[in-house]
Amino acid sequence: MKTMTTAAPVITGWSAISPFGLDGHAFATGIREGRRTYAPVDHAVWPVPDEFACLVPGFNVTELLGNKGTRTMNRTTGLAVATAGQVLGPGKPTARAAEGTAFTLGTTTGSAQSMMDFTRQSLVGERPYLVEPALVPYGVMNVAAARCAIWHGLKGPNTTIATGRPAGISALSYARRLLATGRAERALAGAVEEYSVARSWLHHHSRNGNGGPLGEGAAIFVIEPASSATRRPLATLLATEFRTCVDGDFGTVIRMAIRAALARGGVSADEVFLASPSGAPGPAGLAERAALAEAANETAISRVPDLVELIADAGAASAAFQIAAVLSLAAVLPAAGKPALITSVDPDGAVACALLRLAEDPGPAGNPGE
Amino acid sequence: MRAGRSDASRVVITGLGIVSSIGIGIPDFVDSLRSGRSGAKPITSFDTTGYDYSIGCEITGFEPGQWIKNVPTEELGRTSQFSIAAARMAIEDAGLSTDDLRSLSCQISIGTTDGESKDLDHLTETQVLSGWEALDPVICSRIYANLLSVAIAREFGLSHAETTTIATACSAGNYSIGNGFDAIRVGDTDIALCGGADAVCRKTFTAFYRLGTIAPDCCRPFDRDRQGILTGEGAGVLVLESLESALTRGATIHAEVLGYGLTCDAYHPVAPEAASVARCMDIALRDANVKPHEVDLISAHGTGTKANDVTEVRAIREVFGDTVPRTISLKSMLGHTMGAASALSAIGCSLAITHGFIPPTINHRETDPECTIDCVPNTSVEADLRIVQNNGLAFGGNNAVVILGRYDEEHA
Repeated sequence: MKTMTTAAPVITGWSAISPFGLDGHAFATGIREGRRTYAPVDHAVWPVPDEFACLVPGFNVTELLGNKGTRTMNRTTGLAVATAGQVLGPGKPTARAAEGTAFTLGTTTGSAQSMMDFTRQSLVGERPYLVEPALVPYGVMNVAAARCAIWHGLKGPNTTIATGRPAGISALSYARRLLATGRAERALAGAVEEYSVARSWLHHHSRNGNGGPLGEGAAIFVIEPASSATRRPLATLLATEFRTCVDGDFGTVIRMAIRAALARGGVSADEVFLASPSGAPGPAGLAERAALAEAANETAISRVPDLVELIADAGAASAAFQIAAVLSLAAVLPAAGKPALITSVDPDGAVACALLRLAEDPGPAGNPGE
Repeated sequence: MRAGRSDASRVVITGLGIVSSIGIGIPDFVDSLRSGRSGAKPITSFDTTGYDYSIGCEITGFEPGQWIKNVPTEELGRTSQFSIAAARMAIEDAGLSTDDLRSLSCQISIGTTDGESKDLDHLTETQVLSGWEALDPVICSRIYANLLSVAIAREFGLSHAETTTIATACSAGNYSIGNGFDAIRVGDTDIALCGGADAVCRKTFTAFYRLGTIAPDCCRPFDRDRQGILTGEGAGVLVLESLESALTRGATIHAEVLGYGLTCDAYHPVAPEAASVARCMDIALRDANVKPHEVDLISAHGTGTKANDVTEVRAIREVFGDTVPRTISLKSMLGHTMGAASALSAIGCSLAITHGFIPPTINHRETDPECTIDCVPNTSVEADLRIVQNNGLAFGGNNAVVILGRYDEEHA
């Protein structure tokens, strides 16, 4: 039996590839400037019903990662591999670090585009089995996390968590448990979502067109036990709480999650300095906003830009982007030692809440990608 | 062996739910495991024209309405339907009422390879024939993988539950059991509903077919002439809780979860690596505080492909040396049920412990000289099992191994 520890772990690094740009600095700058990234969709490239979307500018898998091993790599995997590379920095990990590093990645449902492309080949080809074998792994939801492990030499627990919009919080919570049970010495945890023709159409139909414009990208954090952190902590993960809306009443479950997180973290509502709702589409988002205003405070919400206004609905990456936004702002606001509250809601029912305590001294610029 | 763990940090299995091609519910499943029944039959869930062979292990006669009372079934894909059905059986088997579940903290984690890919295949067909505009909104709304676990919360009104779908492909069932185990031990939850679910679909059948790993007739793990897997479907859900909680409730205890391990090969997108699989077993055994010689049975990943079986046996030999316990593959009977596989296998292990027998590896003719293990060929044997190891491997090198132990009241 391994040693169990209940001490709250710390976030010690992060990076993001987002509609703001190709690294964490671009993300932090975009958040601080409150820059909107909506752009008209080029329908020659993307035959989608969307008029506008927030895409990662200039994103090209081979340009970012080179030609080797990227011929068939899909967008989701490219986003995750590149973001993880920025978090890890250059050089291969030592054998001990490789085995001691967990990798936990959140998703909605993998790459619907890759899955549908694969099946389409089976349906339209000369024989139903004459599909491109190199595409097989990309039709499975764990491919992005697994390819990150291969690319970066990470041999610790490797987990893909499909919880939709709150996936970034789910991934952090799962990583927290791996650290608490001694199954990893440090973890990379985050989430990824790609923009694709398939995602756009599925979203269009499943939300009857009311879902709003889509964004994409990936954000990944380094999370370590406070007692053995190898980098300067940016924030302490005080609590994560989850609920599930089973009857359409999102407000009640979000309030339950927020209250539980504040109680677990020993924080009172008026202490919360930064608060970020996920801005879920439809009534779920309205209920979330109201619950957060009631359970935290309006001033805290007003300090964090509405991410949907800036980078649209980033799906599984949305909660991870909210956390990255809070860390970006903490470095330039008088936020030292203060709590930050992040909520996330998926219209399908998953509800999550993360409570952070921002570091007393996060260092210059909140260290994205450091 | 279990000294040092308090009742609050020991985790036991108190409920089992099974949807499989060889039986729905405990009595049928036990009967099939004991008699070595095969779920193999021609695939009917998609048009198999053009494939040279298409045998699979589908579930026939599944009636969603028998298990799903609250969520409208048209809002659920086949995988989510299996998921709810297995959860209902597990909850009833555990003697938990809905009120009990609502009064305890609760975590739901369901593992999967494909989520609702059967629906996605259907949408792809529509798109090919009639274009993107023609997609059915009802089907579009149910393809998201998180619904596999959210659906259970909806069915039982568990708004306080954490719902997680773990999408680590074919070892995801073991991942979910590990997640529940840890959540109970660190105090995050009282009850964990965990397991895995998948439905037969064109995408995955074609993927394995293209890789040359679909068997033409039947699945023969560890056999010299094995030709691959049969794709299968189903769901397995386990109720986990602390020993303290089970004793307080007076629940029937099936078995104890002693520990688990996770590793990643970081090696190849689809081929397993023996050293990493061995490391995973080693981590699981240490976590369970069990020595290799104490293991009475291994339920292998045992897909019946050339590569898996030889690699897995090599890894087992690395850990167990020359005294390898009997090593079986339930996939010989169930086919490869993907995300459900290691959950159904864990349930099989638990039932083997309580019912005192070892399920056979069926379809076996001659053991591969490169897989020299006793796979309990074709006929089950009576056995007194104390500790059983359940292996799960996956594409991407996502390995997960769970160790179960018999729960003896007199020794508790």
